[in-house]
Amino acid sequence: MSAAPDPYSELTQRYFEQSPNAGILQGLGVGSAMAGSEAAGTLVQFHVQILQQHITAARFLAFGCPHVIAVASWLTETCVGRRVQETLPENVHALQRRFEVPVEKMGRLLVIEDAWIAAIRAAITKSRAALD
Amino acid sequence: MTQRLPVYLDNAATTAVDPRVSARVMQVLNDADLYGNAASASHAFGAAALAQIEAARVQVARAVGCDPGDIVWTSGATEADNLAILGVAQYYRERGRHIVTVRTEHKAVLDCCRELEKRGWSITWLTPDARGILDPQAVAQSLRADTVLVSVMHVNNEIGVVQDIRAIASLCAAHGVPLHVDAAQSVGKIPLDLRGAGVTLASLSAHKAYGPKGVGALVLDHRSGVHLQPLVYGGGQEKGLRSGTLPTHQIAGMGEAFEIAAREQTDDSQRAAGLGRLLAERCGELGGVWRNGDAASGVAQIVSLSFEGVEGESLLAAVRDRIAVSAGSACASANQEPSYVLRALGRSERLAEATLRFGLGRFTSAQDIDIAVQSVSAAVRRLRKIAGFEQGDAAESAAARRAGAP
Repeated sequence: MSAAPDPYSELTQRYFEQSPNAGILQGLGVGSAMAGSEAAGTLVQFHVQILQQHITAARFLAFGCPHVIAVASWLTETCVGRRVQETLPENVHALQRRFEVPVEKMGRLLVIEDAWIAAIRAAITKSRAALD
Repeated sequence: MTQRLPVYLDNAATTAVDPRVSARVMQVLNDADLYGNAASASHAFGAAALAQIEAARVQVARAVGCDPGDIVWTSGATEADNLAILGVAQYYRERGRHIVTVRTEHKAVLDCCRELEKRGWSITWLTPDARGILDPQAVAQSLRADTVLVSVMHVNNEIGVVQDIRAIASLCAAHGVPLHVDAAQSVGKIPLDLRGAGVTLASLSAHKAYGPKGVGALVLDHRSGVHLQPLVYGGGQEKGLRSGTLPTHQIAGMGEAFEIAAREQTDDSQRAAGLGRLLAERCGELGGVWRNGDAASGVAQIVSLSFEGVEGESLLAAVRDRIAVSAGSACASANQEPSYVLRALGRSERLAEATLRFGLGRFTSAQDIDIAVQSVSAAVRRLRKIAGFEQGDAAESAAARRAGAP
């Protein structure tokens, strides 16, 4: 007997199962922000550390479907070492293609985007305060 | 290489065919004398097939407590529900166009009633209490002069609660209204005595009781004087109520399955009760776990648990490789539809989605329960950690989590 058809891509499955960087981050230059709600089915929170204009670490918490968990986890891994920008490392359409997210779930990627940008802004503020 | 299959705990959806039943089905299929059409009883082949069917009719009747002559073979409980509800509605449409049913019924009943509603019938939708139990007096109070049918399921397929069919039947009888009962989940889980309970019509399914798929029956107490308008016309089989050549092997299998189910019901239920208790208790150790339905009066074979702090689709995705269970929603996409049964009981949309229905069966072992508990516990702990559920919502307020972040 063959296994049930998998509704998730291999990449989604891997990041959902392993979920690297799940948790919170504290310390110098760390900003955090959340978007969405449990009541609406998707809640994402990012903690981002920015030092010397670069992202040095990131963590996430997520209440959501496997796609949400996988994308949030991947972002926190991919962003490290990048120069800070108030955008996602990859836009939501590219993320949708990369993780094969059903189009009906685009709204969930927008929640991720909102949380990410808010966290970056918070981290920039914290980073500047640390310099002062 | 054979892939390891998950443990099967979805017996409320369907059961494996009992080897004794499959042996009976194969015997009928392989017997060189039994391939005749039971409607052609004028020759030996037809008569031999008819004898098998009549023997099964007796087996089923004994198992559910009705007269063999009350049984109308169908393709399953869905067809039986359709025949009962649409058949009564059409036959009595000049007498009245009001039907009473419950919000937590099976889709086969709900959709029939919705269809009638579209055609101009009036439907009263009753809501059970938070345990899933319907107050029989609510049925009595909903009856009107133009009520032609009450339809209430016996054992709920999602949460396992058992309705007081005897009391409801008595109240219906006092008002001269026939009672239809979807009893697809009852056989083999609790004793059945349809005539003794005063049920007018009952829907039965073979595959929920270790029989083959594609066969079921509608029981119509012929003493009631209730009539039906058929849905299927043709050869006039089954007293004209359900035309079509009868599937001898499937019917023989259903007879065998029901005989075994009735004989072994006590043992099966006692075993399931022990396993179900273990499952609920050990999952309960996680905290934030809600059992749906009234466990004390429900059937042992259905255990429905809701898990706080996890998202439904992720929960199912996290356990699906190890256990085969049903979820509280159809969640393959963003268009999740939380269980209408759980919503009717007052569960929030999120909690209804984060629900697993464990259907225990005759072949469920203690080891299967161990695997289920381990799998679910690991998944819930991991997902709660990812959601920050176990970190006391330190980073942001719990109120924001529940109500929506600004």
